[in-house]
Amino acid sequence: MSLLTRSRLAASVCKRSGSTGLRALSTVVHEDSDVVIVGGGPAGLALASALGSSPVVQDSLKITLVEASDLSKVRDWSVASDSFSNRVSSITNTSRQFLAAIGAWPYVDERRTMPIEEMQVWDGISDARITFSATEAAPAGTTAPEMARLTENLNLQRALLRYLDTTPSIKLLDKVKVNSIEKEQEEGGGWPLVHLSDGRVLRARLLVGADGFNSPVRSYAGIQSYGWAYDTQAIVATLNHRPRTHFEPPNTVAYQRFLPTGPIAFLPLSETVSSIVWSTKPPIAKALTASDPAVLATMINAAFRLPEVSIRYLHSQILEAHAAGTPLTPQQILEETSWRERSHSINQYSAYSLSALGKTAPGGIPPEDSDALPPFITSIQPDTIASFPLRFNHADTYIGGGDGARTILVGDAAHTVHPLAGQGLNMGLADVESLFRCIQNAVANGTDVGSHTALMPYARERYFENHKIMSAVDKLHKLYSTTASPVVWARSVGVEVLNELDTIKAAIMMSAGSSRRSSTQEVGWSVAASGIETLARNINTAKALGGGVLGLAGAGAQSLLKQFANMGRS
Amino acid sequence: MSTSSFRSSTVNPDEIALFSKLSSQWWDEQGECKMLHRMNPVRVQFIREKMLEMQREDTDTDAQLDHPKALAGLKILDVGCGGGLLCESLTRLGGLTLGIDASASNVAIASLHAAADPGLRLIPGPFVPTTTPARTSNLTYEHTSAEELLARGGPAQFDVVCSMEVLEHVDNPRTFLSTCAQLVKPGGHLFLSTISRTPLAYALTILAAEHVLRLVTPGTHTYAKYVRPDELLGFFQGFCCPSPGVLGDGGAGRPWISRLYNGAPARTEAETRGIVYVPWTGAWALVPRGSPGARWGEGCNYLLWVRRPLE
Repeated sequence: MSLLTRSRLAASVCKRSGSTGLRALSTVVHEDSDVVIVGGGPAGLALASALGSSPVVQDSLKITLVEASDLSKVRDWSVASDSFSNRVSSITNTSRQFLAAIGAWPYVDERRTMPIEEMQVWDGISDARITFSATEAAPAGTTAPEMARLTENLNLQRALLRYLDTTPSIKLLDKVKVNSIEKEQEEGGGWPLVHLSDGRVLRARLLVGADGFNSPVRSYAGIQSYGWAYDTQAIVATLNHRPRTHFEPPNTVAYQRFLPTGPIAFLPLSETVSSIVWSTKPPIAKALTASDPAVLATMINAAFRLPEVSIRYLHSQILEAHAAGTPLTPQQILEETSWRERSHSINQYSAYSLSALGKTAPGGIPPEDSDALPPFITSIQPDTIASFPLRFNHADTYIGGGDGARTILVGDAAHTVHPLAGQGLNMGLADVESLFRCIQNAVANGTDVGSHTALMPYARERYFENHKIMSAVDKLHKLYSTTASPVVWARSVGVEVLNELDTIKAAIMMSAGSSRRSSTQEVGWSVAASGIETLARNINTAKALGGGVLGLAGAGAQSLLKQFANMGRS
Repeated sequence: MSTSSFRSSTVNPDEIALFSKLSSQWWDEQGECKMLHRMNPVRVQFIREKMLEMQREDTDTDAQLDHPKALAGLKILDVGCGGGLLCESLTRLGGLTLGIDASASNVAIASLHAAADPGLRLIPGPFVPTTTPARTSNLTYEHTSAEELLARGGPAQFDVVCSMEVLEHVDNPRTFLSTCAQLVKPGGHLFLSTISRTPLAYALTILAAEHVLRLVTPGTHTYAKYVRPDELLGFFQGFCCPSPGVLGDGGAGRPWISRLYNGAPARTEAETRGIVYVPWTGAWALVPRGSPGARWGEGCNYLLWVRRPLE
């Protein structure tokens, strides 16, 4: 809402007189709602569910969620068991425990989720690799823990909606847009008035912005945000691939290779279906998404296998062909890749050999190194290729003050992060958990839930925590974007040394798990705290000083990847 | 406004002038009353937990500790309500609340603020005592003093009487305490919060808060008016509610505190609890019961609960 309209309205109200009792005259008759949540994405729905799970909150507060799109489409979302949506998130154990605690997790269709038991991450240039396995971090006496669970966003949203069907006191208004938000012109009040597209006006004690990156609530609250767009697009797609054989580990391993253009991540969804998130330069993303899906499938296979110099060459071929208007055919790209393979003398019995994999029948005894790579991708599910720009963005504060009082931001409205560590959704859920606790405490002590005093613990708990994760992810992206050989050498040595130190790795992951208040069983990712400050300093110093302080960059890569191991991915 | 209209008042005109000046700032959570806003949830927590504890004591059942309406249906008086911070919270917990203040501008600000909140059901004053219990919580503000209220409505009007951060501002604390206490029904509860007269309290509330950090206006507090916890406990050891019809201290009945054990009252008669500001969390906290520093924790801000014996 623009300042102009607000001040004009203020003027018109002032003319009428300053007395109270004009509430009904000066505006349309409005409905009071204690908590108005704008946005029906995962964060908004999770907050509504959490509030609905607490009898104490339900007794005391009226809660309304407003969403512009048709939520029944999500509620009734149903697809064949072997076809998957392309928007996938890793739900960390912390997030899953929260969802279970409020009673919403049982509504998630677990058959469509996949536990991640191992994570392999390697350097696109040096091939330095680090492996994190959930069993390494398992505290004694617990069985096969998982690091995170890959879940389609729609599966989660549908679960939350189904859960909300059981809490009728929470009002869901869908297919209704927020036309404008204005501050009530009443002395002693000044609560936000939310004007909806169906003509209704909600008067909110607390207005929650769960309305995404372009948050109207954030602009009403007058909260600035800080950030930039990365020169990167993320391609997402759902992949069909061969099942793992009995000689291989099950498809519960997530793979991520850091190419200088950006990381490519393979995220298992079932035995034969996985999801991809490939961050790359915008022109390459444009050319790849415009190509034949078979070309993209080959490029994905290649992106995990071929040396970086060949990937660069293939990119240039794709770009040239795209610019010339004659995109490469699946046959041409296959010829290119097998030629590159021969020139690198890749052993045709190795898992790295695409041409061999493409020809041999599935099954049989797999090559020795097959567990170092994702399975061979055979095709891409129709209509699942998409791409979106990546950005870093963090609101200056989460609580609106002054004229924007009684507002609070959660999820993407508060922060947007590079998806390489898959923390976006989990940060949003952690926000929701913290805000939920704040609201519960406020209700218990009779505090006005819209007051700054009631909300302050939320901002204190989440702001710095989110900031640490965001800068870690950002630094990781930057560290791996460079091809300068001293930096590559340093980060690789750091990673390889760390990978050999199993006990230390286990200790890192265990401490991450036990740092949570309640459970010892999970592997969380809050370990981020320890390495981060050193990390940011180290990378900058390493870049500035060059060769003399290589060890620092190595240490930086180590501490980043330690955290990374404990993060899920999306 | 003229404070002289109050009979035999404990109200100090200079103090009232000071708080009237502040009245516009009561609800600025980042302003002069920031610390008070942050302290309020902890005061309410103390009241709620104490009430639930006594409910369990009386009924011998397990009352739910997180019950949201701990004060449901109770008649509550807040003496010196200021901007209504405590009154609003007590009303949300189900109380039928009356807030009184000697400053007319405070009462105006409090009423204006509560009127904007549909959850509070503000009833315009003057307060009319009813015998029929109301079913929903409500809130009334009135510009009057505790003495006036006692003279008008007689003793034993309220289940709960609170007076937070007032004792250190009144002229005759003994009369003030006696007035507040007489307004409590038999078996009812009196909650007070004030500041102890210790060098620590001087350093924190006057030297630091007023003169160094300028969190509050210099002159807000007077060291000599601070009251120590043992002085309060001593007062209630000697205090008996006068028999009906007789005004003044020391009438018939049992003293509110029968005796002290090692300086502490019996758990069912009274309790003092320190309340400290924890800078790194930005919040106040109750000093845990029986913790090693509990005595020390009462060295500055503290809360007192004391219960009127059943006759």
